[in-house]
Amino acid sequence: MEKQDNHIRVLIAVPGFDGHWRGAMTVTAALRDAGMEVIYVGNQTPEAIAEMAVQEDVDVIGLSIFSAGYMRLISRVLADLKAKRAEHIIVIVGGIILPEHINQLKEMGVAEIFLPGGRTETIINFIRENLEQKMVL
Amino acid sequence: MSSVNEEKEEFRTNSGIPVKECYGPQDINQLDYDRDIGPPGQSPYTRGIYATMYRGRPWSIRQFSGHSTPEETNQWFRQEYEMGQTGFSVAFDVPTESGIDSDDPRAEADVGVGGVAADTIEDFEIIFDGLPIDEVGTSIVAGCPATCQVTAMYFAMAEKRGLDLKRLPGTGGTDLITGMCAEPLMDLIPPHHMLRICVDLIEWCCKVAPRWHPVNIDMYNIRESGVTAYQELAYMFAEIGAYVDEELKRNRLSIDEFAPSFAYNMSMDIDFFEEIAKLRAARRMLSKMMTRKYGAKNPRSYQLRVHVQTGGSTHTRQQPLNNVVRIAYEVLAAALGGTQSLHANAYDEAICLPTEESLKLALRTQQIAQMETKIANVVDPLAGSYYLESLTDALEKEAWDYMSKIEQAGGLVGALDSGWMHREFIKAMVERQKEIESGKRKIVGVNCFVEPDEPYPGKVFHANPETVNIQEAKLKRIRAMRDNGKVQKALDQLRRDLESGANVMPSVMEAVKTYTTMGEISKVWCDVFGIWVPPIH
Repeated sequence: MEKQDNHIRVLIAVPGFDGHWRGAMTVTAALRDAGMEVIYVGNQTPEAIAEMAVQEDVDVIGLSIFSAGYMRLISRVLADLKAKRAEHIIVIVGGIILPEHINQLKEMGVAEIFLPGGRTETIINFIRENLEQKMVL
Repeated sequence: MSSVNEEKEEFRTNSGIPVKECYGPQDINQLDYDRDIGPPGQSPYTRGIYATMYRGRPWSIRQFSGHSTPEETNQWFRQEYEMGQTGFSVAFDVPTESGIDSDDPRAEADVGVGGVAADTIEDFEIIFDGLPIDEVGTSIVAGCPATCQVTAMYFAMAEKRGLDLKRLPGTGGTDLITGMCAEPLMDLIPPHHMLRICVDLIEWCCKVAPRWHPVNIDMYNIRESGVTAYQELAYMFAEIGAYVDEELKRNRLSIDEFAPSFAYNMSMDIDFFEEIAKLRAARRMLSKMMTRKYGAKNPRSYQLRVHVQTGGSTHTRQQPLNNVVRIAYEVLAAALGGTQSLHANAYDEAICLPTEESLKLALRTQQIAQMETKIANVVDPLAGSYYLESLTDALEKEAWDYMSKIEQAGGLVGALDSGWMHREFIKAMVERQKEIESGKRKIVGVNCFVEPDEPYPGKVFHANPETVNIQEAKLKRIRAMRDNGKVQKALDQLRRDLESGANVMPSVMEAVKTYTTMGEISKVWCDVFGIWVPPIH
C-alpha cells in the first residue's frame, strides 16, 4: 500500500544560524509540487525542530545544511527525537556535507544525504520509497 | 551529444533576454554617445567612473575572508596581504553578523565556523593587529543592524590606535534586503525600524568619518538566491531609493552630503556579456536616478563605486577544478565591466571555506588578469560593441520595469513586511532549479558531461572547533573586568535614543568603548522594537 502523496507530511528546517534558504525552499517547492504537505520553518534550534516535527506529526524531517557546524546540529536533532520516542520520523539531510561524514551521519540515524547539484526528484522518490517500506513493515 | 547549433532552442541570456544571432549598427542607432554612453569618468558613467580606470588605479584585490578566532583571522589576513591582496574584507560568523554573542546558547554550533567570531572591541583589536588599515581600506560585512556595533567597534579600535576617523578609509555593511530576505539573519527587527537605524549610521558616519562608506548596498546574496541580472539591478535601486528617501525625510542632510558615502556590491555571474552589461547599466542607472530624481550635483553622489564577488552558486561540487575556469571567466567579466574591487571565489566554494592553496589560486587568478592579459590597459574596451550596448540598454529597461513592480508592492519596506519580496525570490529559486533539471540551463558536470562522483581530491578546510570555548572564556573575563556600571549607563542611553528617535550611533560608540558586547547592544533594540521574522512559509 503506497502512502498517498497528499498524506506525506514533511518538515523542512535550517538548523542553527545559517541564513541560506535557497536549497531548503527549492526542495520545499518541489515536494509541494509532488503533492506532499510541507511545513517550512526556516532557522530553528535543533530542539525546536524535533519539537515541531512531533507536534506536526510529520513523516519526514528535511534538514538543510550550509553551516559547517552540522555534526553538532544534526546529532542534537536526532538525540531529541530519540528522547521524544520519535525515531519513526525519517530524517534526511541536504546541503554541504563533507564526504568523510556521510557514513557517520547514516550510522547516527540520518536516512540519506543529498549533496549539492542533485535533482529534486531523487529526494521525492526517496521519500516515497522509504515511506512505502515503512508502511509495509 | 547534440551541439547547440542542432537544437532548435531560443537563445536568451540567463535573465531571459532574447538575443539575436548577430548584432549590427542598426541595433544601436538610437543610442547617442554623449547622452547614453559618455566618456569614462563623465556622466552617465556607462564606461567607468574614472577617466583612467585601471591605468590610474587597478581594481582592489579584496578577498572576503575570516574564520575561527580573531587571532587566526589576523594570521590569515597577514598571509593574504603577503600574497598580494590590496584590500581587506572581513567575513564574520553568522552569530556576529546577527549581532549575537558567541556565548549565546543558540549560537554554539555556528561560532567561528562560517567566518570569524567577534564579540567586543578587543576582538577587533586582535583581528586588525599589525595591519595597515589606514592605508588599505577594510570592508566589514555585517548584517543590519549589527553593522552599527561592528562599525563602532572598528572605529573605536582605530581611534585606540591613534588613527584619525576623519581619514579612515573603508566600507561597512547595512544591506537590508540581504539580512531580511536573501540570507535572513537572527534577531531581526521590523523593516522600518531597521531602515531608521541604518540611516542613523549613514548620517553619523558622514560627519564623523567622511572617507568611510557606511552603506554597502550589497546585491550579492540577492543574486545568489536565483534572481536575474535585471532583478539584481532593480533591487539595488529600490534599496538606494529607500535609504535616500529616509535621509531626505529627516531634512538634515542634502543629497550631495550623504550620497557620496554609498558603496555598492554586486555578484558576477556566469553569463559573460550579460554581467559586463549589468555593471555598465548600473552605472548609467545611478547617474540618472541621482541627478534626475534627486537633483544631485556632486559627481561623487552618482559614481557607482562597486565591489564584485564571483557568484558562488555558479560553482559546482562535482568536478570542482572546473570552478577554477568559471572563476577566471567571472574575474574577466568583472574587469571588463569596470569593477573597483573584486573577490574571486576559491574553487572549493561548494565544499568548504578556502584553504591556503585555494585562496592563493583565487588571488593569482586576479593577478594574472591584472598583470598578464593587458585588459587593464584600456578603459571599457568593449564599448561600442553592437551586442554589448544593446544588452546594456535591454538590461536597464528590464531593471526599471521590475523596479516599478517593487514600488507597487510597497517599496523596500512594504515588499519586505508583506513577504512579497520573499515570494518573488521563491519564484526565482524554483524557476532556476527547473531550468537546471530540464537541461535548459546547462552546467558542465551537473547536467552534461557528468561523471561518477569521485572523492574530493583537495584539502578540506576546517575551522577551529575550540573557537566557541575560547570566545566564551574571553567573554567571561571581559564581563568580569569591565566597569559594568558604565556598560549599563551606555545601554540605558541607547534605549532612550531608540525610543526618542535620536541618532543611535553616539550611544553605540560609547557602549563599545566600555566593552559592551554585540549581543548586549542588539538586545536593546530587540526589546524596544520586537523581533521580526521573515514571512517565509
